[in-house]
Amino acid sequence: MNLKDKIVVVTGASRGIGAAIAKTFATEGAFVVVNYLKNTALAEKVVSDIEAMGGQAVAMQADVQDIQQVDHMMTEITDALGGIDVVVNNALSHYTFNPKTRKTAWEIEWQDFEQQWEGNVHGAFNICKAAMPYMKAQMAGRIINVVSNLIDFPVVPYHDYSTSKMALLGLTRNLAKELGAFGITVNAIAPGLTYPTDSSSETQENVRKSIIDLTPMHRLATPDDIAGSAVFLASDWASFITGQCLNVDGGLVMK
Amino acid sequence: MTIAEEISIYKVPKTMAFTQFSEAIIEGERTVYHLKYPSLTSDDIQQMMNVVEANRESYLASLTTQEIVEKIDQAIQKWLDPDYPLRRRAEQLLPVITGYDKDMVRLELKKYMRTFRKKELLRFLDEEFDQPAMLDEFRPRKSGGMSRAFGPNTLFHVFSGNVPGVQIWSLIMGLLLKSATLGKTSLSEPLLPVLFAQSLEEVDEKLAETLAILPWKGGTAELENAAIANADAVIVYGSNKTVETMRQRVPLDKPFLTYGHKISFAVIGKEALTPDLYYETIYKLAEDISIYDQQSCLAPQSVFVEQGGAISPKQFAQILASELGRYHKKRPRARLTDEEAMAIQKLRDRYQFEALQGDQVEVYASQTNTAWTVVYHEEAGFEGSPLNRSIHIFSSENLERDVLSIKPYQSLLQSCGLAVAPDRLFTLADRLGHYGVNRICSVGEMNSAKPGWHHDGGFNLLDLVRIVDIERDVEQKMEAFDPDVE
Repeated sequence: MNLKDKIVVVTGASRGIGAAIAKTFATEGAFVVVNYLKNTALAEKVVSDIEAMGGQAVAMQADVQDIQQVDHMMTEITDALGGIDVVVNNALSHYTFNPKTRKTAWEIEWQDFEQQWEGNVHGAFNICKAAMPYMKAQMAGRIINVVSNLIDFPVVPYHDYSTSKMALLGLTRNLAKELGAFGITVNAIAPGLTYPTDSSSETQENVRKSIIDLTPMHRLATPDDIAGSAVFLASDWASFITGQCLNVDGGLVMK
Repeated sequence: MTIAEEISIYKVPKTMAFTQFSEAIIEGERTVYHLKYPSLTSDDIQQMMNVVEANRESYLASLTTQEIVEKIDQAIQKWLDPDYPLRRRAEQLLPVITGYDKDMVRLELKKYMRTFRKKELLRFLDEEFDQPAMLDEFRPRKSGGMSRAFGPNTLFHVFSGNVPGVQIWSLIMGLLLKSATLGKTSLSEPLLPVLFAQSLEEVDEKLAETLAILPWKGGTAELENAAIANADAVIVYGSNKTVETMRQRVPLDKPFLTYGHKISFAVIGKEALTPDLYYETIYKLAEDISIYDQQSCLAPQSVFVEQGGAISPKQFAQILASELGRYHKKRPRARLTDEEAMAIQKLRDRYQFEALQGDQVEVYASQTNTAWTVVYHEEAGFEGSPLNRSIHIFSSENLERDVLSIKPYQSLLQSCGLAVAPDRLFTLADRLGHYGVNRICSVGEMNSAKPGWHHDGGFNLLDLVRIVDIERDVEQKMEAFDPDVE
């Protein structure tokens, strides 16, 4: 995959999809920065799991919504490791995917949208902005943003969440247009409902079943499924792919 | 860093004190659990049974069945709250103790607890007694006279540990009959009945004092003989060997209910394999096979699949194999003992060898482990499986004819998951019943026996009670002894 010794930053990597992405990159030989917000113990566990497999990783705390913390983290990374090759914007504002307790269109407030906008778009924006100078200097880089297949098929209308993910896809495409000239690709991954993760643990069994019924591959995504597509987009095999959104949902969304 | 935690896996009346304890050690992800239980002598057993019996006499015996139902319902209601601490405890610990997937335990546990709501308990009592109140007092009979049902004063349960929850059913049965209980748990799942007893204690302390639940090594004759000698009735769950050993020890005059090894299977007609239905049918069957890793006697071990549907029986086997693979991804099977894994390997070896000889057999199996195995047979037949998500698929030209293959297994048969057109139901049900099946259910529901079912074809409460009749002329003739009679 030619990811040996590449420096990869994965945000929100202490658990769920982020942890799986971090581990898969490490398996491919990359040096992984396991970014996290609160769960120091879990992030350290991801690092020790990677080290146990013979991989290289380090855990770094930073709130991606805070540009100063992000800048600080990026400086530390480049000072210590000499550059940044890949960033995976996986962190999200806390969100519980519970169809029974979600806010309906008539209950949801602008504040809810703002919170998701901050988490999903502002966080990715900060990371991209901070990584850009290093990637430009290398004339190479990969940016991968994790969105959601809900933006194409709102099986359950999580208004605030899906709208902000759609905005993140907009950011992805605009960055792709502008950064292509520097040899940087920017793509998105749109996972389907991924299980098990902490966010999806409250999605009731019958909802999971109805999504499985609609899915050609007849199951939900696992964190490892998502990780595979991230590694692909960072690899040399995907060198001429940019501005794309890859649905990783067992064929639920086809377009 | 690992943390050590001690957990009591016994519940005995408060007056019982033990000095010697044993422990079983179970390693969780970050915690090592020390499951603690008393080391017993036959005197302890006798004393314990005397205590629970005395507690029954002074309290439980005087409650009405209605009151008991209310109390059980209150305990069950607690378990229906996702935040109930003991439920959370069970959801956390049962997967560690049993190795079952934690989501599976969570879902199955709550589904199971729902079957003991008050309405279901009433249904259950009504199913077996024309008048459940006859458990409380003499009640008039339609044919004249009066009758009352007496449950055993003391019940000795021998639980198995294959499927969490079954012990609760047995405990409830004892309570409904106003019996004091000694429950011997298996170390492979000793926790849930103890937690349930704690819930009963929260509802009614005196009621819980009629229960003693604890494990010891199965087959310890000294302890088991003491329990049998002090019990009015015995209920045994477990392997045929356990059941047979116990049978030899229980005197003929004591009611003795047994729930031994059984084989269940499914029968799938071509009507359930049309283009719109075949996937759903297979999905449901895969659930029946996967829930509790097929350890329940209700789970299918063989399947008859009829030719003539949109998919052939062989394709059925292929899709089923792939579905079992998806299920394993979603809810991984428990880790097996070497013996269990060997049994699956043996099955695979035997049929992979046969597959090489011709095209009568195919094996579809997980590649790097024993997680799931489907053996496809071109000829109709019947066979038990080594469980743990391994299954036989038999192609059938004609189900009505081919189900005859189950006949040699008559004494072992239990449930049949049936998916055929309605006009075939009764012909098939008659045959299946005739050949030894005692429960016909839907595919997808095989592991969820309905409240009030005839477990292994018998009654549950009725087989344990003694009915006392007052004949009709007695009450009439006694009128003459009324000093105030005309």
